[in-house]
Amino acid sequence: MSLYNRRRATNFVILALSLGATGLGLLILFFILGSLLAEGIPALTLATFTQTTPPPGSTGGLANAIYGSVVMTLVATLVGTPVGILCGTYLAEYSRGSWMAPVVRFINDILLSAPSIVIGLFVYQVVVVNMGHFSAWAGVIALAILVLPVVVRTTEDMLNLVPSGLREAAFALGAPAWKVVVMVTYRAALQGMMTGVMLAIARIAGETAPLLFTALNNQFGSTNMNAPMANLPAVIFQFAMSPYADWQRLAWGGALLITFTILILNIVARTLASWSGSTK
Amino acid sequence: MTIDVSTVQTPTHSATPSTPVTVPKITINTTSERGVPEVKIAIKDLRFYYKNFEALKGINLDIYDRRVTAFIGPSGCGKSTLLRILNRIYDLYPGQHVTGEVLVDGHNILAPGQDLNLLRARIGMVFQKPTPFPMSIYDNIAFGIRLYEKLPAQDLDIRVEQALRRAALWDEVKDKLKQSGLSLSGGQQQRLCIARAVAVKPSVLLMDEPCSALDPLSTQRVEELIAELKSEYCIVIVTHNMQQAARSSDYTAFMYLGSLVEFDETESIFTHPRERQTEDYITGRFG
Repeated sequence: MSLYNRRRATNFVILALSLGATGLGLLILFFILGSLLAEGIPALTLATFTQTTPPPGSTGGLANAIYGSVVMTLVATLVGTPVGILCGTYLAEYSRGSWMAPVVRFINDILLSAPSIVIGLFVYQVVVVNMGHFSAWAGVIALAILVLPVVVRTTEDMLNLVPSGLREAAFALGAPAWKVVVMVTYRAALQGMMTGVMLAIARIAGETAPLLFTALNNQFGSTNMNAPMANLPAVIFQFAMSPYADWQRLAWGGALLITFTILILNIVARTLASWSGSTK
Repeated sequence: MTIDVSTVQTPTHSATPSTPVTVPKITINTTSERGVPEVKIAIKDLRFYYKNFEALKGINLDIYDRRVTAFIGPSGCGKSTLLRILNRIYDLYPGQHVTGEVLVDGHNILAPGQDLNLLRARIGMVFQKPTPFPMSIYDNIAFGIRLYEKLPAQDLDIRVEQALRRAALWDEVKDKLKQSGLSLSGGQQQRLCIARAVAVKPSVLLMDEPCSALDPLSTQRVEELIAELKSEYCIVIVTHNMQQAARSSDYTAFMYLGSLVEFDETESIFTHPRERQTEDYITGRFG
């Protein structure tokens, strides 16, 4: 076999293997999405969004769980994002030459990859045990801790992508550092930072483990942040494991809702990111 | 200071370039043109270190007001470093330190306690790559003005217009002031940056290879602009382009390996340089 033919053969084998692996991955993904759609769509009715979780054997919906998930995700994002953005700003803009930056960055990376159940246990020990009961606030704290490292990381990365020439140009006009950051670098990095926040929301929207230890669950519609609060992941967990067919159907509906919410968030984040890439 | 009497008597004399100038440093031709040049920036035994590397090895140089001074030399010779000391923009990065003196209007800007923001408001800078801020054309100019002046809206409008006219950009952008500065072409962006720098009314304008990213036509416009601006500003320009230095500067400093090899009137540097190294460089034998 000539050298050329051997290379062609090798190329063909590698290509076939790569395509096969890609196909396998896509197959599994579409299988998951397919069964999710097949089982979930029939479960989504108007009642799913208007009625609270039912006792076994009667009809109901997921209204309280949807409310709980939205509220806790939103509040956790509102708490975690500003802290994350400020911390990322410190790392990217203020920490040059400081020994603290590598330490903070390292700890943040650990936090980023820490299993969420560990975060849940930590908040359980620190907040739930001390308060004496599960509560939506504890859930918010756990989720905010998960938001934090994602936002810190993307904020720093996005600010570092801003060309240093832009910063120098602003400093060269005599602008104080905070004005350079707020009026020039934030503007240049805005879309990327928004993408980071979107990804952080997508990450916590489907988290189950930290909520099981903190917000727990609630069979009833409750808006009290100091009490246990229903949320989609915990309801899915509870209902899917149950022997009741109508609970299982609701679990599929909830799973479909979460999946598509995250899908949409990811698409929005990617669109924002590519949009910001094209204007630079 | 020695002044050639004959030159003073016949100011048009300056148009003939071949007068052999033997008096070092004194700038007879330009002197007769626009009065005696005043020293705006005096650099004294300036040494600059990046970590342990000595990037500037004792520079002594006077830069004159209302003149264009060009820094030329091969890459890595320290010309940009020297320029970046003049507004202390190097201070943004760690691991560097500087000794010696840089007197701007007799005041040492390297002294501790120097307010860097005020210093940079007085000493404008234009960079190699056009760096419009991600905001409207209007706000790009207004940004710098708003930093130090609280002006009513109409006055601010006037200042923005003045700056854009100054940079020969007004006619091209007057109908789209609200558009993003990033929507302009490269040459327009660079003139926007020049407008932004002059809008805050600095007394010195530093230009770090302002034309290296521009096409010939835009380069010509920027050079014309430099020629106009020098009646009001002390301009220092770093350039890799020898023709540009010859065309647009009054004085030229040739630097090599962190030292100032030769400083003189541009005409003398390019017609009869005193140093062999200068001659080799400007004739393209190295660099």
